[in-house]
Amino acid sequence: MKRLLFLLPLLVAVPAWALDVAATTSSMGMLARAVGGSQVRVTELAPPDRDAHLLQAKPSMLRTLRDAQLVVAVGAELEIGWLPAALGGAANAAILPGRPGYFEAAAQVPLLDAGQAADRAQGDVHPAGNPHVNLDPGRMAIVARALAERLARLDAANAAGYRERAQAFAAAVEARSSGWRRQAGGSGGALLYHKDAAYLLHYLSLPLHGTLEPVPGVAPTASHLEALAGRLKGKPGVIVHTPWQPPAGAEKLASLIGWKVAVLPLDPPAGSDAAGYFALIDRWVEALATK
Amino acid sequence: MNRIPLWTLAAASVLTSLPAAADEDLKALREEIAQMKQAYEQRIAALENRLKEAENRPAPAPAADPSGQVGAGSAFNPQISLILDGVYFRDNKKGGSAELYEHIDGINHGHEHEGHAHGELERGFNLRETELAFSATVSPHFDATAMMTVSSEGDVELEEAYFDTRSLPYGLKIRGGKFLSGIGYLNGQHPHAWDFVDQNLPYRTLLGDHGLLDTGLRLTWLPKTGNWYTQLGVELLQGNEQTFATSGEDTPTGRADGAALAGTAAGELSARKSGPRLTTLFAKFGPDLGDSHALQFGGWLARSSQHQEVHDHTEEDPATLVHALEGKGRAWGLDAVYKYDAGRYGGQGNVKLVGEYLRLDKNLKIAFHENGALVGQKRDFTQDGVVVQGTYGFLPHWQAGVRYDVTGLTNKLDGPAGNLWDKNKSDRWTFALTRQIDHFSLLRLQASRGNLWVEGAQENVNQIFVQYQHSLGAHGAHAF
Repeated sequence: MKRLLFLLPLLVAVPAWALDVAATTSSMGMLARAVGGSQVRVTELAPPDRDAHLLQAKPSMLRTLRDAQLVVAVGAELEIGWLPAALGGAANAAILPGRPGYFEAAAQVPLLDAGQAADRAQGDVHPAGNPHVNLDPGRMAIVARALAERLARLDAANAAGYRERAQAFAAAVEARSSGWRRQAGGSGGALLYHKDAAYLLHYLSLPLHGTLEPVPGVAPTASHLEALAGRLKGKPGVIVHTPWQPPAGAEKLASLIGWKVAVLPLDPPAGSDAAGYFALIDRWVEALATK
Repeated sequence: MNRIPLWTLAAASVLTSLPAAADEDLKALREEIAQMKQAYEQRIAALENRLKEAENRPAPAPAADPSGQVGAGSAFNPQISLILDGVYFRDNKKGGSAELYEHIDGINHGHEHEGHAHGELERGFNLRETELAFSATVSPHFDATAMMTVSSEGDVELEEAYFDTRSLPYGLKIRGGKFLSGIGYLNGQHPHAWDFVDQNLPYRTLLGDHGLLDTGLRLTWLPKTGNWYTQLGVELLQGNEQTFATSGEDTPTGRADGAALAGTAAGELSARKSGPRLTTLFAKFGPDLGDSHALQFGGWLARSSQHQEVHDHTEEDPATLVHALEGKGRAWGLDAVYKYDAGRYGGQGNVKLVGEYLRLDKNLKIAFHENGALVGQKRDFTQDGVVVQGTYGFLPHWQAGVRYDVTGLTNKLDGPAGNLWDKNKSDRWTFALTRQIDHFSLLRLQASRGNLWVEGAQENVNQIFVQYQHSLGAHGAHAF
């Protein structure tokens, strides 16, 4: 018995953090770390080097979700191919949609492209709206505040700290926003592979000239590229796609209209803090500033 | 904030200038002013508090429930999905190859049940079963799923209908209803999730076309095992019409060839035991190998408390004797899955390897025989099989698959005095080429060459399939 009593302080001392958080992407992981500080331990489920829409559920995800107290997802069906299966298999009641342990960034902000026709003839459409909110620093600041409230609800003892850090993140975004907007202001806008950076263009008030995909989820076709070239020739702009999207369509179009091609990820490196996220936005802004 | 002291000062100066005779009135006035002052201070403090609260409140959230999900499905309607599946089929047996696959030599041969027309394939165009699935959250405590198939003739079959608990603690989950058992890796997959057109040989010959599909309850548990994923499960199943768990057979009262039973017939089958008559145990383990690799091992065991079968081959051969067996069945298996996610566009470079071993033992006794002297003799049936398959994404949206499956590595019947018969193994090589046209459609070309033993004769069976598959409605997530 005495020996057991010796072990007691060990048991109490082990968790240095208050909450286990499972973040679906590295952007969500960054946000959870920025707002949660040392009170959270964050595990990211999807690596930033591949398409989070087309991932598959796997045993290690179930393992992480089994013990998580909070899931921070991008939402709006971005993770629809794997997160529902992983949540279903994790047997953890606290993190199911509708419970306080389930947090979707897209549910905290208004979405672009909401209310499109639910018609698969238009490709892999998501009528609820474009889910890729993570590249919009303004929306991420709002999501950070909402996330602070959620963390405060799950861990009331550290509520003030969560709110302070969310406030600090929002302030850091605010401090950078005029610089980003100035740098990108008056640029020609961009053509994307998929509408995955539409929010950032919107944030910077730059035009989106279209996508290399004729409809979401369908690879570029020659006729579509020709139509784009006809429409964009002579205008200023840049083509941006992610490392996992095939470069052929972008290169072909670039050769036709003389635009530069930039290859940029949608999420910061795994395990990033706010600085890593801002560095990613800096890279995007730099690529988009075509003057 | 500053206004009150100023205002009270002004009021006070007016009051002090009044004659002393109005002392009483003055006192009353002072009280009144003090009350007013207090009331104003309270109201200002309340306003300040409200301001503070407003400052601390987060930015206004949109109308959606912040814990909820943004999705296309409307709140109370179940998610519906429909899978269309069709094949163009050719073989080297004038259309008879499906029949040969149905009658591969083994311990379950000659034990078929009516109503299943899975093997029926015509040379040319075939519409395969259309899968229709509904799923929804019932309440905070339950999810429910129903899945039915409609054959091209319009026959509807309820494949699965079950509930899952949502709110049990400690990583526990209960599933109840009719469902595909959690044994093995491939057993839980519906045909639309297969990497090949048809069911593999070990499943088909040892467990049946669907795999193990029965009615009952399942309890699964995810214990806390560090970085390792562990799932332990136990199932209590009714034991309906399984290859090693069938009950309620009638003691034969006549022969299929129309002749009367021999006068030496004796014995009878016992009554149907109450369920659950089939119990399974399974375990799955998966280490965490980082973002690109995933691995899972599994093992399982299934036991039935009652199994009965009636053997009447008198129609094909009047010299055979009608008999019935009963006893217990036991099956076990091992499985391993490895997936490599290259992270490239269109699944290029992805690898998936699956291997499973299955073994079935039926430990039976003769319960009825036309030659009554044999009643009580033991009859131990044993058969096993292996399937190994792999797919590789060699181009974006293009996948090549290879499968080797074999059944009957052990394929024997033992009686009290030793081996009664030993049958040959049947094996097959299958090659598949799959083109994922978009998220919701695929085309597949599959060719297979089987080396089958049917009725003691060797048959080389070649089959070619061209398959299309479309998935309509909610594109649900697939488990690992």
